[in-house]
Amino acid sequence: MGEERRGSRNSRTVVVEMFVIGTVASLAGIALGSAIEWFPAQASSQAGPIDTLWDVLVICSVPIFVGVVIVVVYAALLFRQRPGEENLDGPPIHGNTTIEIVWTVLPALLLVVLCVYAYVVLLDIEQKPAQAATPEMKIDVYGEQFAWTFKYAGANGKPFTTTQLYLPQDRSVKFDVHSKDVIHDFWVPAFRMKIDAVPGITTAYRVTPTKLGIYPVVCAELCGLGHAYMRQTARVLPTDAFDTWLEKESAEDNPPAGGKPVAGGATGATGGGGSDAAEGDAG
Amino acid sequence: MDAAVPLAGAHDTHHHGPPEANRSSRVDPQLLGMLLFIISEIMVFAAFFTAYFFIRIVGENEWPARGTELPVLVAGVNTAILLSSSLTLHWAQTSVKNGNRFGLKAGMFTTFLLGATFLLVQVNEYVHIGFSPADHAQGSVFYGLTGLHGAHVFIGLLLLGVVTVRSFRGHFSKEEHRGLEIPGIYWHFVDVMWIVVYTTIYII
Amino acid sequence: MPVTLRQPGWSRASASMVLGLAFSYALSIGARAILGYDPLLDGESVMRIALISVPFFFLVGLGCFSYWFRWASGAPTVPEDHSGHGAKSWKSYFYPNTDHKVIGIQYVVTSFFFMFVGGLLAMLIRAELAAPGRQFVDSNAYNGLFSVHASLLIFLFIIPVFAGLANYVLPLMIGAPDMAFPRLNALSYWLLPVAGTMMMLSFFAPGGSFATGWTAYATLSNTAPLGQEFFTIGVQFAGASSIATALNFLVTIITMRAPGMSFFRMPLLVWANFSTSLLVVIATPFVAASQFFVLLDRSLGFNFFDHGQGGDVLMYQHVFWFYSHPAVYIMMLPGFGIVSEILAVKSRKPVFGYRMMAFSLLAIVALGFTVWAHHMFVSGMQTWIRVPMMVTTAIIAVPTGIKIFSWLATMWKGVLKLDTPMLFTMGFLTMFVLGGISGVMLAMIPLTIHVSDTYFIVAHIHYVLFGGSLFTIFAGVYFWFPKMTGRMYDEKLGKLHFWLTFIFFNATFAPMHVIGVQGMPRRVADYAEQFASWNLVISLAAFGTGISSLVFAYNMVASWRGGPRAESNPWRSLTLEWQVSSPPPIFNFDEIPTVVGGPYEYGVPGAVHGVFGGSPTTAGPGRRGPATTAGAPSA
Ligand SMILES: [Cu+2]
Ligand SMILES: [Cu+2]
Repeated sequence: MGEERRGSRNSRTVVVEMFVIGTVASLAGIALGSAIEWFPAQASSQAGPIDTLWDVLVICSVPIFVGVVIVVVYAALLFRQRPGEENLDGPPIHGNTTIEIVWTVLPALLLVVLCVYAYVVLLDIEQKPAQAATPEMKIDVYGEQFAWTFKYAGANGKPFTTTQLYLPQDRSVKFDVHSKDVIHDFWVPAFRMKIDAVPGITTAYRVTPTKLGIYPVVCAELCGLGHAYMRQTARVLPTDAFDTWLEKESAEDNPPAGGKPVAGGATGATGGGGSDAAEGDAG
Repeated sequence: MDAAVPLAGAHDTHHHGPPEANRSSRVDPQLLGMLLFIISEIMVFAAFFTAYFFIRIVGENEWPARGTELPVLVAGVNTAILLSSSLTLHWAQTSVKNGNRFGLKAGMFTTFLLGATFLLVQVNEYVHIGFSPADHAQGSVFYGLTGLHGAHVFIGLLLLGVVTVRSFRGHFSKEEHRGLEIPGIYWHFVDVMWIVVYTTIYII
Repeated sequence: MPVTLRQPGWSRASASMVLGLAFSYALSIGARAILGYDPLLDGESVMRIALISVPFFFLVGLGCFSYWFRWASGAPTVPEDHSGHGAKSWKSYFYPNTDHKVIGIQYVVTSFFFMFVGGLLAMLIRAELAAPGRQFVDSNAYNGLFSVHASLLIFLFIIPVFAGLANYVLPLMIGAPDMAFPRLNALSYWLLPVAGTMMMLSFFAPGGSFATGWTAYATLSNTAPLGQEFFTIGVQFAGASSIATALNFLVTIITMRAPGMSFFRMPLLVWANFSTSLLVVIATPFVAASQFFVLLDRSLGFNFFDHGQGGDVLMYQHVFWFYSHPAVYIMMLPGFGIVSEILAVKSRKPVFGYRMMAFSLLAIVALGFTVWAHHMFVSGMQTWIRVPMMVTTAIIAVPTGIKIFSWLATMWKGVLKLDTPMLFTMGFLTMFVLGGISGVMLAMIPLTIHVSDTYFIVAHIHYVLFGGSLFTIFAGVYFWFPKMTGRMYDEKLGKLHFWLTFIFFNATFAPMHVIGVQGMPRRVADYAEQFASWNLVISLAAFGTGISSLVFAYNMVASWRGGPRAESNPWRSLTLEWQVSSPPPIFNFDEIPTVVGGPYEYGVPGAVHGVFGGSPTTAGPGRRGPATTAGAPSA
């Protein structure tokens, strides 16, 4: 076209301006992203790496989103049809191979890097701690409609079952998760880890609780009418307090299927209010 | 909404029919439709084979289930019956193209009989096999796959039945035999599928 | 027998359904007698058979099969009189019709009906969740609400409404007089009200509606009350409908394009529906099979999912997601097509990188089959599957990114008409990017371990399906409204609708990211006190979203009844559907046009897409720009 469109501006100035605004907006977005209290308490050694991964993802995502929004907004501002332009057409640009290659390759590289990083984090959070002072503890977790029960190996070889999840601080715990009926999902948000309890197979994950306190245990897989109420609590205790508790529980004459769960909403009594105590005191 | 208004100023001779559609491919639309439908069907079978795979391979369940036996030989003979029905169907199809009405009728009739025999043998097998789908997962997969296939044979037989009756009534000709062609493709598919089912269920 | 009962129609359909019910009783009692079961009359078994057979009796009664029965019997078929083609009055829309334009409108209106039902259920969900504790439904009813909400909106709104829009415009776009199989097309449509009615009726089933989510995971669905089967069987009808339509689209696109319309001259909407249809034909059988398994387990005692008998619980999820991941693309790719159409027309520029746009669609189709287990990172499946699925899931963002960037480049330096369809398209661009970003985050296994099954997922899927799909649906409905109804919609109300939706949509779903990461699981009737304030905000915003849809409904109804008449090509578009009157003539074209160029040659001096009877169609007579832009400004 011979003449410039009315209101159109020098494209270099525009790009610089967009870039500046984009950078500022991205920084603001990242600041906002870090200001939000996304996660519950970091109560396990797995929480740190996952939360960091989240931060990295937020930092990578905000500029992309901001970039798209800025282009859309600027296009609307700069190129909107003005009175008298009802019959005007844009320039017949059909494509640009270089630019298309760039926006294929760059995101691909970014994604590969992210995948590698995520893989490293995955290995980190799933491996068994190498030089642990105390051997890893194993707890069998049983999901059933609509409660969790926990089976401890116990002190002195006397296993027992309870609806109270007590955990020692700074000791790796492996949960072997089972289901007695339908699929549930054993999740302690403060530990960040979860896995489905699947009828017929045993699933597992490990966490190392690091922070004393009381944390909600949540069922994350729809399991029927009491699903929303399938909430209990996990307590992280100092090692000696935990050992005392373990010995006391082992000494009691627990029925093998002890702590019979109550069906439906009544389970709320066991742990419904647990989340309030998420930031609670050291047990 | 108003009834569609024909283009103003259009030639008014065009009101009683659509313009002839352009044919942008040499493939016959009905044939293509049938082929796509068969792709869908293959995927249904694929899903059932996924179940088979999970229960037999991933779940490491004994195959066939302990204490049960699959009548490999009878089913083998049955396989031969079903496969020969594809041949007789082919005979019927070539006959009609050559204008041989006897071949068409005899071919269709035999095909129908062979297909019906296959289905009967299958039902008989169910009655005598000694386990039910409710007994174990292997039984479920066995009945699931053979039953799914049996349902296809049944539908195929309905189609073939119509075609057979029609060929006895003097329908189809050298020029117009798509009503035989399209169900034919389906029947061949059902036969080929059986080979896969038979191999995985009975032989491997 | 009275004539009304012999002729296909609603009376015969009603009578036929009664017959179907009788048949169900007879079959159930007969079978139980033969097998020697004790109570001969078993309500569940009758209901089950009725759910499967009554729809067929209904369809036969309505006349969906009449022609095929005649054809198969070899009876002399009536020479095509086109009596069932085209709408004669509004009543025609309530009968099977072979005109793709009638079917398209039937599809769109029916699916929007289900959208309003599904949206109403969402309002009930949000009312219940406005505060912790029980408000007005018990948890079983609540589980039913979100299950039916999702099932209706996925299977009876988003998937079919795209099929409906494409049904209307696709044959016109490629210069075909109709779809390849008009009667199959009619049947595809009539399967929808069947499936939708079934799902809605489930609320009246003993034990309540199905309440296991739209995913209906075994073994919960195996043990759920009878209402579950309204889903199990309803999905079969919806699935059959989409397979039939997809097959129809594929055959139409392959065999009925106008002369000169090579694959690379097809509008991208056609490409998008081509890709979608491939996905549907290949993937949908898997969801059918997954529900067959559940049905067999429930009704005949099969053990597909009974681990005690050697069954495999996780197999359900593999089979289900092998469909349901591609289903996300089934619900998105047609929207991509709509966006490409609107952006080119409303920016007055060719689509940037047309070929890459087409290839990226095919890449998404291919990759879409390799990522299903990213829904199963915490399912307890074999752990080694996770990492390959993470990589493929991340990689699938590349073709999607190509599309986003190409759309942005299409707008750049154009002459943007910021009317309602364009606003929704631009809203889509920004919102879908958010959904895509959270999608990439969800590919990262360690993060997914924490946020799976939380409100983060709810936020993600609504950014994809509401901010993504629904925005493109709105854009498409506004864009083709003049073509479909012959009337113009009210631009002011359209813009109001956009801004209300855009604001309330974000206010509803953005906070869900936060409460999800904070630890609120999804699908819960009750939640911990700490999430109360955000949930109240979300509920209020959700009601705002609900109200905004009423603006849309009013605009559509009022404009359809009394809007100003639309010209044949109000948007100065080049594609073929705009070169015929609004609404198009009964057989689309008097004469099939010849295609001589690409569909988006805006700004190219003298560019032509289709030629009718020797006269080239430009973008409307005398509407070319005064200075048909030869060079880019300041380029
Ligand atoms: Cu649960
Ligand atoms: Cu997915």
